[in-house]
Amino acid sequence: MSRPASRFISPSLQWGMIGLIAIALSLWQAGLFRQTVVNFNGFPLLWRFVAASVHPDLSYDLLATTLQASLVTLAYAVCGTFLSVTIGAIAGVFCSEVWWLEVLRAKRLRYFGFHSVRAILAFPRAIHELIWGLFFLNIWGLDPLVAVAAIAIPFGAITAKVFSEILDETPRQPLLALINSGVAPITAFFYTLLPQAFLNLLSYSFYRFECSIRSAAVLGIIGAGGLGYEILLSLQSLRYEQLWTFFYALLILNGGVDIASATLRNQLGCASRIDLNSHRPTKRNISNSRIFSLFPIAIAGVALSFWYIQPDLSKIGSPRSQQLLHQIVQTSLPPNFTGIAELIPLSVETVAMSVLAIAIAASGGLLLAFPAAQIFLLSGLLNRRGNANLFPLVLLVIARIVLLLCRAIPAPIWALVVLYVLFPGILPGAIGLGLHNLGILGRLFAEVIENLEQPPLKALSAGGTPNSLVFLYGVLPATMPRFLAYTLYRWEVCMRETVIVGLVGAGGLGRLLTEQLSSFDYQSLIVTLGAFLVLTFLVDWISGRVRRSLRAS
Amino acid sequence: MSSDPIISVDRVTLQFGQFTALTDISLHIVAGERVALVGSSGAGKSTLIRLLNGTLEPTRGEVQAFGQKLHQLKPKHHRQIQRQIGTIYQQLHLVDNLRVIHNVNAGHLGHWSFLKALISLIVPLDVATATQALAQVGIPEKLYDRTDRLSGGQQQRVAIARVLVQNPMVILADEPISSLDRELSREVMEILCNCQSSRTLIVSLHDVDVALRYCDRMIGLRRGRILFDAPSTAVSSEMIADLYRL
Ligand SMILES: Nc1ncnc2c1ncn2[C@@H]1O[C@H](COP(=O)(O)OP(=O)(O)OP(=O)(O)O)[C@@H](O)[C@H]1O
Ligand SMILES: [Mg+2]
Repeated sequence: MSRPASRFISPSLQWGMIGLIAIALSLWQAGLFRQTVVNFNGFPLLWRFVAASVHPDLSYDLLATTLQASLVTLAYAVCGTFLSVTIGAIAGVFCSEVWWLEVLRAKRLRYFGFHSVRAILAFPRAIHELIWGLFFLNIWGLDPLVAVAAIAIPFGAITAKVFSEILDETPRQPLLALINSGVAPITAFFYTLLPQAFLNLLSYSFYRFECSIRSAAVLGIIGAGGLGYEILLSLQSLRYEQLWTFFYALLILNGGVDIASATLRNQLGCASRIDLNSHRPTKRNISNSRIFSLFPIAIAGVALSFWYIQPDLSKIGSPRSQQLLHQIVQTSLPPNFTGIAELIPLSVETVAMSVLAIAIAASGGLLLAFPAAQIFLLSGLLNRRGNANLFPLVLLVIARIVLLLCRAIPAPIWALVVLYVLFPGILPGAIGLGLHNLGILGRLFAEVIENLEQPPLKALSAGGTPNSLVFLYGVLPATMPRFLAYTLYRWEVCMRETVIVGLVGAGGLGRLLTEQLSSFDYQSLIVTLGAFLVLTFLVDWISGRVRRSLRAS
Repeated sequence: MSSDPIISVDRVTLQFGQFTALTDISLHIVAGERVALVGSSGAGKSTLIRLLNGTLEPTRGEVQAFGQKLHQLKPKHHRQIQRQIGTIYQQLHLVDNLRVIHNVNAGHLGHWSFLKALISLIVPLDVATATQALAQVGIPEKLYDRTDRLSGGQQQRVAIARVLVQNPMVILADEPISSLDRELSREVMEILCNCQSSRTLIVSLHDVDVALRYCDRMIGLRRGRILFDAPSTAVSSEMIADLYRL
């Protein structure tokens, strides 16, 4: 795969330049150098919005509403996570290579079996929760079931993919050793592979829970209730004091879940999600019995959540929904290709939006991740003199709060805020997406930094190397590959999420999709969806390629 | 009857891609024999052991165990044969994050039902057998420790205990004493050799003296070929020198 050019230019440099060109082209597409984008008339409104942050509405009534909405959002997330992890666990086994190859010993069938399961799972994964939500809304009407299913299906497919990767990356020799001593493969699978992979699976499930919380908030926007819904209502009626109360509730909810998840993962000894993608063995320091004691709590939580939101499960198979589903299928055929010419500029817009969003997210995340990860720097590494300097601590708290704020607030809400001061177009959408993902990427980056192998850094530092050089030679090279890998992963997510800012009119295929969904124009919808899927797979493919070539170098 | 080979390898060549790891190997082992595999690093000892337990398939030639051609059997029969062959791997292949008792109990899995295996993962079953096996290898107190917290030599003994629990007719041991001190090596070799006189033992060893002491037959491997295959008493120091010559 080595091209002649790569002898002079390293692949990372090459891809870096391509990335910069892509960003420049996207900015051009966003109209940055061609037309006015800033709407100065909106600044007073933005100021009112910002100013309201210091005096949120704390009246009793609103606090009661907030509490209730928070509980709804939390319950959606719990139920959604539970179902997606269940789906993911079952489907994940069936689309893992090790299952087909070693357990079923289907050498020839393997290609058919596991590739077809993987291919099937790629579709629910490529479609954003919001589209699923709007779709279920059309069948089931406003019911908590919509939110739960909209989270469970795409997240289930994502979880399945990640679970299968975890299983495939788990050392296989103990499994083979047992199989080759005559143990039934399925027994051997449960006895060796699952215990080995268990902590990683659990750790990823926690991470999924963090994602579900954010997703539950977004789904509120389409009317599913909870905090997202309340936020949208207050934003539209310009009641900023209320808005900030809800923001703070979202902040507490997200922060609480993130902290709980991080603490648990730390306790389990699988501190970061990054371990999933590296082959470095993790230090585990918990006995299995303590893990098992978590299960009753989790089950009780799930039961309580289902009880709280009361999804109408009878709707799933009810004749009415079947009839509606049937209708949808019928009315969506044959596909209507008349609008296809329009799809091309919209696709370009969509990709440009995703590129801008990830550029914003990555650069912002990078800037904030280092101050946010100072727990580790404070602990005596860069701070050799050991003087009690408060400044880094203050910086740390601020950076973490900014990151939390960014990721807690759903992208479409950010986009609506940005729309005060920018004219509609893909730029506000990109900024909204960028801000939201900045919070997520920044946190992931900070985790990477905190999980750095410290001895090499200590060695550098002990040798009298100045701090700036420790950073340049020790921290950056060790973290950059993982930062890039995360950024590329996140780009794929951004691509899917262009749909949700499309909802608030940010443009691209997402806007068209949501329009067609709400006007029941299924014949055109199916074509747009097809285009979107193609685009998603394209972005996944590019990202995968870049990641592979970066890993190889 | 007893002179029928329990394991026989007939003109086997085994390749990993382009690389030929074993060339034209033939050998017959009868029940109760204690065979040492010797040879320098990379000679193909581990490969031969994985060939004998059915993990690897020969590129050419044929491997028979208990009179059956290993690679033509239906999975079910293949498993039945494999249950009678216990292997101690050089890299041990224990499930690191399980407790010792589970790894020892893995020796039972060949005849435990799926359900029993699952239950045992949560509430260990058949503790008595496991304790006894661990006592035999000298670490009964480690029963409930996590396997990855054990020292290398202790883990090696867990792997041995697992095979003792499996109680197969043939034991294949790939350098089972490589990280044990002299006294422990002696004990472990004695356990492996003395449990039952009818049990066949095939053990790869780096230490020729140990091989001479405990085994009645030695097979010298060099670059994937059999250099000699003779009773231990007939192995001369020239043959050994030849074996390790660079
Ligand atoms: N899976 C494999 N793929 C490719 N080559 C392999 C594989 N397994 C073993 N080999 C090669 O086969 C040769 C024999 O390896 P083997 O592990 O059998 O040696 P050994 O005699 O056990 O050595 P040691 O005493 O160091 O354990 C080596 O050159 C090794 O590199
Ligand atoms: Mg070996």
